[in-house]
Parts: sequence; C-alpha cells; structure tokens
Amino acid sequence: MLPENLTAIVARNEVWTGDSATEPYECGWAREAIVFVRALKAPRGALPKARIEISADGMHWAAEGSQFDLPATENAVTFQRLGHFGNFVRVAASLPEGSEITLLVAWHLKA
Amino acid sequence: MNPPNSQLDDMRRAIREADPRLSRFDPLPRIICLDDFDRGMCGWTQLVGNYEHSLDAMLPGYAQHSHAMLSTLPNWDFGSHGGVDGSYALKIATRPKKGAQNVAIKRLTFRKAGPIRIETYFTFKPEATELELSETDIRSFGFLYDLQVGDSHGTGGERVMPHLRFLNAENGVHLQKWQFKRKTTPIKPIGTAGKTITHYHLSPEDWEDLPGGAQRLCYNEIPTKVNWHYLRFDFDLATMQATGFQANDRVFDMGAYEPIRMPAMRNLWCMLNIGFFAETDTDKRAFAYLDSVCLSGDF
Repeated sequence: MLPENLTAIVARNEVWTGDSATEPYECGWAREAIVFVRALKAPRGALPKARIEISADGMHWAAEGSQFDLPATENAVTFQRLGHFGNFVRVAASLPEGSEITLLVAWHLKA
Repeated sequence: MNPPNSQLDDMRRAIREADPRLSRFDPLPRIICLDDFDRGMCGWTQLVGNYEHSLDAMLPGYAQHSHAMLSTLPNWDFGSHGGVDGSYALKIATRPKKGAQNVAIKRLTFRKAGPIRIETYFTFKPEATELELSETDIRSFGFLYDLQVGDSHGTGGERVMPHLRFLNAENGVHLQKWQFKRKTTPIKPIGTAGKTITHYHLSPEDWEDLPGGAQRLCYNEIPTKVNWHYLRFDFDLATMQATGFQANDRVFDMGAYEPIRMPAMRNLWCMLNIGFFAETDTDKRAFAYLDSVCLSGDF
C-alpha cells in the first residue's frame, strides 16, 4: 500500500486579527509536512511573520523555530516546509492592531 | 432481503469469524467498506458547506468544520491511548466554543435500494484542559446518513437524512440519552445560478428523545481515559425506514424513529453519505473517535 498522503484544510475563510492560530492538527504519523497559506481577501495593515508551533498534547505549545511570510495580496500563497515535528502542529501569528488577513490554510502531510 | 441460503450464510459467517478484523462486526452479506483507520483516512473527509462565488455564503454551522485526524489518542499524562486493535483512530475535534460541532463524512452511492447496516467502535472525550472528571463537557456524539432515492424512482421520491445522537449533556446536566430528529432548517438558496441550496440539519433545535433511549455509557474516571463502544444502525433504503439500533449491550425499539425527509433534489440520485459528528457543551474541544467502521448491505 502507498504511504498515507493527506491534504487537510484546517482554516477556511478565517479572519485573523491579534494573536491567532490554526486549530491543533494531530499528525504524528507524518514524516514530513508543508503548510500552504493563501489570502482569500486583500490583507489590511502590516503583516508579521507566521510561525510554526508544535505540541506533545495539543494544549501546550512551543515555537518550532520556522517563520515565514503571510501572503501579502489576495490569492497570494506562502508556505513552510517542516520535518521531525512530533504529534501536533499549528500555524500562529501575532498581528498588530489594525491588521487583518482572511486565510485558507492547508497542511499537506506524508508518511 | 435476499432469500436465505443457509449453507452460504454459514460459510460466510465462519470465514468472517475466523478473521480478527471482521469477527467483531456482524455485517450483512455484502461488505461495502471496512474502514480501519490503521490503514489511513479510508475516504473519510471534512463536511464542507455549500457556497457559490464566495465562501462567505457558507452557513456558520458548516464554516466551523475542519478536517478529521488520524489519532493515537495522545494524552498529556500518560501518552498515546491507541485504538481497539491498532495505533490509530479517526478523530473528529470541535473548536473550543460551547455548542461547536464538527463532522467527518464519507460519500458513496448505493447499487441496490435494500437493507444497509453501519457498525462502528467509537468513543468520545473532552480535551483534558482541566484536572477534573469533565463528564458533562461533551454535548453529543452522533451519526447521520444523507440518502436519496435513485433517478428511476418516479414522483414522490425523497432525500432522507436519518440522524441519531447520544445527548451526553446539555448546559452541564448529564442527560445520557439517544435522540433523533425529523426537522432541518428551512431550505436557503445559495448564490445566483439557481443550482445550489443549503440547510443546517445539525442545528441544535428539534432533537427528540428516542423512546426508551436512556443509556449510561462507560466514561471512566479521568478525562484522559476512554473505553470503546459498539454501535450498529440498520436502515432499509427500499422503505427509507430505520429497522434497528444497538449500542453496546442495548437494543433499542425504533418504532418511533423518523428521519428528516424532503423532496428529492435534482442531482443527488442514489446518494449514500455517512457522517459522524461531535458537539461540545463547554468552551473546550470535544473529541469523537472512530476506531473502525463497517458498512454492509444485503445485495
């Protein structure tokens, strides 16, 4: 059987302001991951870097160290590759006051 | 039903009972799918709401959904729990907001309008964010079909949506009873092309108690331990009526059970969708887990 290969949409048309994060995604079976972030509408204000966070239990989070740009224009796509990440992953960002982005976030995971 | 053929039935039963993957199920003669989540997602995906032109058109009840996960049921205090006979189960997680729901769905069609049987080993628990028993944090775990007659049915054909949920608790009250619903929300057109509609069949209103449907399930003693439960639901696609329901050792009378019914829609012929859902009663994530699912039919 071919190894598991999954695209999981974890945020769809979600509006991020302030401290925001995707819902925890449990994927300890995956050896590698890439997360794609697409802006569904034109973002407003200055955009910070997004960061990857990892967790053993889905409740207590640590910054994994990877940071990447949020998409700056409507339908622009950014991504981050990830390996060796344990069981739970999420994308988080802290947007300054007045900034806003509407997102589609897709994890692509491979065993 | 097919005419009985006791020799064939005996042989089929002997083969199945010798197979550990099948021996814990009681399938009808033909297995449509046996989904063991140790093999992957097995065709279970996210229930996304209808839309046209913009995702803003999606009803909020569907917009909150996210993708199911392959889970080892990991816990902060002792680690992975595992499934009935393997490492993985399908995990359906809500957001941490009172009343939030999430659904995992599998989309099929049927080849004969006859009896079908769904069986699963399931469990549920809240996210263990507090060192408390939390037995009333989950509102419900449930199951639904989304069915429609074939295109040769003629006038009067229906789309039929049998729903069944275990109402564990509501507003902190531990209720522990099975419920069904026969009403959905009013049909709402989506977009401008006149081709798409939506309705929210999992709205919190209009659930009715299944007579005799009170049941105390094993919950265990802290919010990180789970026990697996067995569920079987029988439905006849010919009459579009429920014919049986069992949860663990209890068999329930389905005489009063009714599904949601509406006129057939123009593009859903022979639809056979299966969904499982979780619903939280607190600002805490609810987790429903399926170890395995067996869908079988008599054809």
